[in-house]
Order: sequence, then structure tokens, then C-alpha cells
Amino acid sequence: MKREIPMIITFVSGMAIIIALFVPHPPFGRVEETFNNWYIIISGFTMILGLNSLLGHNLDKVKRKAEGWPYSLTLILSFFITLIWGIVSTIRTGHIFASTSTFRNYYYTYVFVPLQSTMFALLAFFIASAAYRAFRARTVNATLLLVTASIIMLTQVPKGETVMAPVLGVAALLAVWKLMSEFESAASWTAGLPYLLLSIAIVAVYLPIVEVLRTQTTAVNDWIMNVLQMGAKRGIWLGIALGGIAMGLRIIFGIEKSYLT
Amino acid sequence: MATTIWVWVAAFFTLAILSFLYKDNPFYRIAESVYVGSSAAYMLLFLWSFDVKPKMIDAWVKGSTTDRLILIIPITLSIFMLMRFIPKLRWISRWAIAFTVGMGAGLGVAGLLQGFVVPQIKGTIVPLWIANNFKQTINNWIIVLGTLTTISYFFFSRKHTGVFGKFSRTGVMFIMIAFGATFGFTIMARVSLLIGRLYFLLHDWLGLI
Repeated sequence: MKREIPMIITFVSGMAIIIALFVPHPPFGRVEETFNNWYIIISGFTMILGLNSLLGHNLDKVKRKAEGWPYSLTLILSFFITLIWGIVSTIRTGHIFASTSTFRNYYYTYVFVPLQSTMFALLAFFIASAAYRAFRARTVNATLLLVTASIIMLTQVPKGETVMAPVLGVAALLAVWKLMSEFESAASWTAGLPYLLLSIAIVAVYLPIVEVLRTQTTAVNDWIMNVLQMGAKRGIWLGIALGGIAMGLRIIFGIEKSYLT
Repeated sequence: MATTIWVWVAAFFTLAILSFLYKDNPFYRIAESVYVGSSAAYMLLFLWSFDVKPKMIDAWVKGSTTDRLILIIPITLSIFMLMRFIPKLRWISRWAIAFTVGMGAGLGVAGLLQGFVVPQIKGTIVPLWIANNFKQTINNWIIVLGTLTTISYFFFSRKHTGVFGKFSRTGVMFIMIAFGATFGFTIMARVSLLIGRLYFLLHDWLGLI
């Protein structure tokens, strides 16, 4: 019974939500709302399990004086200082985010926001560094990724349309140089012909493309986002959704039971 | 120079995290520890203020006897969840976990159907010929072709050879364009955050701009 009862609970709670989706009539709407509230309450309590793990691990490091224990102590102290501050602020003002709450005006504005936004801003450097190593226009697919990312970035920045011509000019020159060296090293004239034709094509389309990108920057950006990449995004989203639905049904019908171990 | 102590605190944390660009150092590690610890407490306070208190405490205080009787179920399951700390009663916590897993799965199925499958299919069923609007016709063809070829790339029940192989390889091209666009957007979002932090340092802290 230690396994059967949880499986019945999973089945009933999961099916209730799905039935409520297909039968939008009383009492299912009310059942869905009630179950959702229960879910929010119980999920809130799972936070205690996570905190127990985080604090327990760091407290253990402090007790053992393991490597980096002062940082673990800093973590524990910052946790309790923030918690006490939040509780005191809530008691004084009635709500943690009240306009007069010192927690909101000082902790949130001058500690939480700078820490979080700087941490995420740091990722800009790592993504750029990873891109420098990964973005090599070796294949057609890699070139498509590189060109699309470059256009999107250039169309998002102020004066992007001005720098577009020289940036794309350098890219076109490098591409032509690479293609011409392939043409030179080709075994025969006919074998190298595609490289030569591609070089001529790049030179021929460079000016019209730059002109379109320069004069219709926003339209190009919108077209890439709303048309060109939309098909692939839809395909990926559909794949994710169908996979998620299959997994959800496996859990509800008790085929997937790993959460019971 | 700003005199407010809190601006200095924010500047210290900003510089401490940015110092990681040089190399891992104690200032970064301190800022990282403060971030993890205080974020955990912040999340706990947030969950209490916006979820648990209004849905449980306030509902209990303001609710009728029937509401209170119904509320006993989630409160009991929440207590069951904490039974994980008692080895002998650990198995009871499975009931609460089972409820959250079932709800998560049910919400997932319903949400994905309503929010993804139906709207995405609906968005892809577009007219492939629009009289006097050649541009929209081409755009619709690109969207339909992009969706179908991308799905075909993820269809592994058939070998990707011949016509189907070419079809799925076209899908890879569309996927690369989508990844490129996503990458460009992500970079710009991160850069705008960085600009925000640099503006804070130069304007709010140093008063240079």
C-alpha cells in the first residue's frame, strides 16, 4: 500500500486537472481552483526541504572546517540576516513589499537586484567568449547561425544600421578570400568553378543586402523574428509540448514511477 | 560621490561579481555566498507572503467552516511533506509528493495542450495563396515549410535518407536560423543588464555621467 496510495493520489489529482480542461462546467472549475490552491500551499512547504539541504550542507562544512568554510558561514549568516530583516519588516509595515518596507527599499533595491543583475550580466562575457570559439563559418548551417545572430544583434543596437555595412563588408571580404583560396587549390578549373561563382554572387548581392538592412532595419529584424525563425520555433515548441504531454500521461497512469523511489 | 551607504553596498557587490572576469577571488566568493543565502531567504519570504499566507492562513481566518474543513487536507499533506525528516515516517511524505507530481503532470498536460499544441497548430494553418499579396504568401510558405521540416528533423522512426533526409536537412537550416536569432536576443538582453550595472556604477555611485 506504500506505493499504491501515492499512485492513486497522482492519478486522481492529475486526471482532475485534465478533466477540468475538457469540461468547463461546475463542479470541475471549482475542483481545479481548489486543487491549484492546495498545490501552491504544499509546494510552499517543499521549500523547507530545499532549505534544509542547503543549510545542512553548509553548516556541515563550517563544523568540519572544510575548505572554503568561511564562505559557507557567509551564506548561512546572509540567509538568517535576510530572513530576520524580512520578518521584522513584514511585522512593522504589514507586507514585505509595502512602500515603507525597509526590506523592499534597501535589501531588494541595493542587495538583491545588483547581485542578480550583475550575475546575469556576467553571462554576456561568457556567451560572447563561447561564441568566439564556436561561431566559425565552417559549414552552411554554422554560417546561417552566425549571420542571423549578427543581424539580430546589429538591428537591436543604436546606430546598428550605420555599422552594418562595414561589419558585413569585412565578413563578405573574408568569405570571398576563403572561397578564392579554395578555388586556387581546387584540382581542376571545373572543380573550383562553384567557389568562383559563389564569390561573384557574394560580391553581387553585398550592396543590395546592405542597402535593405540599412534602410529597413526594423522590418528586417521583425521579418527574421516573425517569419524566418518562427517555423523552426513552432516545430521545436510542438516537439517539446508533445514530449511533455506524453511524460505527463505516463506519470498520471503510473507507468513512470521514479518519483516514488 | 554618492554618500548613501547602500549605494556603496550595491557598488561593492557589483564590482565583486564583475571581478570574476579577471579570475576567481575571495570578493567574488563572498558576493556569491551572500547571493545564494539571501536569495534563499528572499524566496522563502516571497512564498510565504504571496502563496502560503493568502492561500492558507488568510483563507483559514476568513473562511467558513466548510472552507476550513477543506483546508485541513492541504495542511495535512504539507505536514506529511515534512515527515521526510523522520526516517520511520518518511514513506508518508510520498503522499504529498504524489499529489504535487500528479498536479504538476496534470497542469503540464493541460497547459501544454492549451498553451502550445493548439495555438501552434492554429498559427501554422495559414493560407498558402493570398491573391494580390505575394509577400504574405511567401511568408506563409516559409512558416509552414519551417515548421514541417523542423518536426521532420525530430522524427526518428524513419531513416533520414533520400527525399526525407533532404527535407529534414532543410529543417536543420531553419533550426540554425532560429538558434541564431535566439542567441542574438539573449546576448542583447545580457548586454542591456551589463549596461544597467555600468550605468549604476558611473552615474549613481561615481556620479561621472
